[in-house]
Amino acid sequence: MSSKKILLAGTVLAMIGLVWLGAVYWMSFFWVSTEVTQGIAQRIMYVHVPAAWTSFLAFGLAALFSAVYLWLRDERLDRAAVSAAEGGMVFATIMLITGPLWGKIAWGTYWTWEPRLTLTLLLWFIFLGYFLVRSSTENPERGKRHAAVVAIIGALDIPFIHLSVIWFRSLHPEPVVIKAEGPTLPGDMLTTLLMSFGAFTVLFLGLFLLRYSFENLRSELDTRSRHASV
Amino acid sequence: MSVPVYREADEKAPPVLQAQGLVREYGSVIAVDEIDLSLARGEFLTIFGPNGAGKTSLLALLAGALRPSRGQVWLRGEPLDFGEVEWRRRIGVLSHQGFLYGHLSAEENLRFYGQLFGLSDVDNVVRDKLQHLGLQERATSLVRDLSHGMRQRLALARTLLHDPDIVLLDEPYTGLDPSAALVLQGVLSDLRDGRRTVVMVTHNLSEGVALATSVAIMNRGRFVWQGKRAELEGDFGQFYHTVIEGHG
Amino acid sequence: MRNYLKQIGTILWKDLLVEFRTRERLITMGAFVVLVAILFNYATDWVRVSPEDIASGLVWMTIMFAGLLGVGRTFHLEAEDGAFQGILLSPVPKDAIFLAKALANFVFLYIVALLVVAVFMFFFGLEVSRNFGMLAIVIGLGVLAFVALGTLFTAVSTGTRMGDTLLPVLIFPLLAPVVIYGTGATSQFLAGRPLTEAEGSIKMLAAIALMAFFLGSLLFRFVVED
Repeated sequence: MSSKKILLAGTVLAMIGLVWLGAVYWMSFFWVSTEVTQGIAQRIMYVHVPAAWTSFLAFGLAALFSAVYLWLRDERLDRAAVSAAEGGMVFATIMLITGPLWGKIAWGTYWTWEPRLTLTLLLWFIFLGYFLVRSSTENPERGKRHAAVVAIIGALDIPFIHLSVIWFRSLHPEPVVIKAEGPTLPGDMLTTLLMSFGAFTVLFLGLFLLRYSFENLRSELDTRSRHASV
Repeated sequence: MSVPVYREADEKAPPVLQAQGLVREYGSVIAVDEIDLSLARGEFLTIFGPNGAGKTSLLALLAGALRPSRGQVWLRGEPLDFGEVEWRRRIGVLSHQGFLYGHLSAEENLRFYGQLFGLSDVDNVVRDKLQHLGLQERATSLVRDLSHGMRQRLALARTLLHDPDIVLLDEPYTGLDPSAALVLQGVLSDLRDGRRTVVMVTHNLSEGVALATSVAIMNRGRFVWQGKRAELEGDFGQFYHTVIEGHG
Repeated sequence: MRNYLKQIGTILWKDLLVEFRTRERLITMGAFVVLVAILFNYATDWVRVSPEDIASGLVWMTIMFAGLLGVGRTFHLEAEDGAFQGILLSPVPKDAIFLAKALANFVFLYIVALLVVAVFMFFFGLEVSRNFGMLAIVIGLGVLAFVALGTLFTAVSTGTRMGDTLLPVLIFPLLAPVVIYGTGATSQFLAGRPLTEAEGSIKMLAAIALMAFFLGSLLFRFVVED
């Protein structure tokens, strides 16, 4: 695909995602019924849970692109990896902000060592390391390689982190039993949640493609200015 | 993998060391820009050039210490394979750093590298090399206690320890006192035994030309002059400055 | 294969010999451990908590921080006269270099980790004799995982402008499982619980250590190549 087509696809997907997200907001504010025990704050779920899913998807893609980058050494794969990682940081941040907001209102505490919340926080830091490594290496090519190693190890450590934080919680039972989705989610809530999953995924893919074509343009600019100076 | 293209049709054997279209970039800086070279057995190439010309990067590319951004290096017609390590046995590198451990003795340093290279008779080889470079009396001294000249000799012993047929030397004369320079001169002359291929980077114009069979002048990542030593006439110093200024 | 092991042995022996002569890392890590224990004494209200309650956590955190201090210096010794370049230019596979450096780190950090246990025993009357063997194994597995990740990421952080300061950001998130299972098993041992209870944690620690060594040997070449 040419870079113009990618830019176009990204723009279209991002627009669709934004409109779709608007619809999800409307649904979660005016259409869906209020959850009985947690009250109005539970509506944060329609942002929180899809954001978590999207960040996992994004980090997973970043690790995958990084691994293939180390294998094939194609610059485009590195650009894809950094674009996905940036999206992952954004959505993980949304997840980490909405989680405590919801928690404070619903259970009276900002932070609980809920496994997925903990996992996302640790992932956020792993990818913070990813960006620090990239930006603080003198030789950009080396920075890309090192960052790719960080992303791959980070992704492969996820199962261990996940198992361990669940195991930790089973050792120390929480005062409040958290069941975000609940086993029996009423129909309208499920619909809203699924709609939101769709909106977040499409929005992420749109932003990812936009970011990717931006990286392409930047490298093209670098090449041109280098040739101009020679 | 592309097939090596031989420049001289009359030579049957592939060149010992060959490079084509060698480019190395650091971000937006181009250190080595489209270098071609082809060296046969017994050739001694000296590369001159101002600081920052890319000489050290070029040597690192030839040594397999750096990966080229573009282009390819061949050893006897075989492209360098970074996943392999066997070809490293054939190359000896003297960098402007000695690669020596200050807290190990001269002997221990050599033995360490001898074992890494899997030499069969490490003890004898180490003793011979120490003797050859006049270091036998300081064999058990820690490297941190040795003078600069002694260390440089030890680094040279380390470079030649595994009897490489390709020797790459980066500024071997730097900081040497006259007597150490004399020892070095002797060792470098011994390298012209017809079996080896040597590439040396130096600022020392007279010594560099005296040892060379071929000479290259490098500026801004490129060879701005390249030829056999026999082609050089008159004052090389003057010639060098003319060439560099012509491309300044 | 024999040559491979010999090369690992050569680099490992060189690291041990240099450390034996300078004692730089063992002295700094050892001093750190004792000083931290002294500070912990004043940072804790011993009227309200008993040593057994928090000892396993403190032991593991002390090991982690001491490890950071020691592992962060892995390549300083090599950088002095460019010696690491010399190793990279020799016919030693990159994974052998990684294994040798990680094993050298293991030797140093394991000694220090046992010192941590001894210091807590000495200062806080921690009772470890009942399950000392198992405790040594659990700590050994945790230290293995630590040095594998630590060696790999020290090679990463050494190549950045930020240097060692970047190291904790890179490895602490990855080490969360090691701390969780390590402290879990340790507190079970300290409480004198049956060994079977800690079996799951030990298996997980072993799996993490194995995985870390595997990935480290696989990815190290991408970190040190230029």
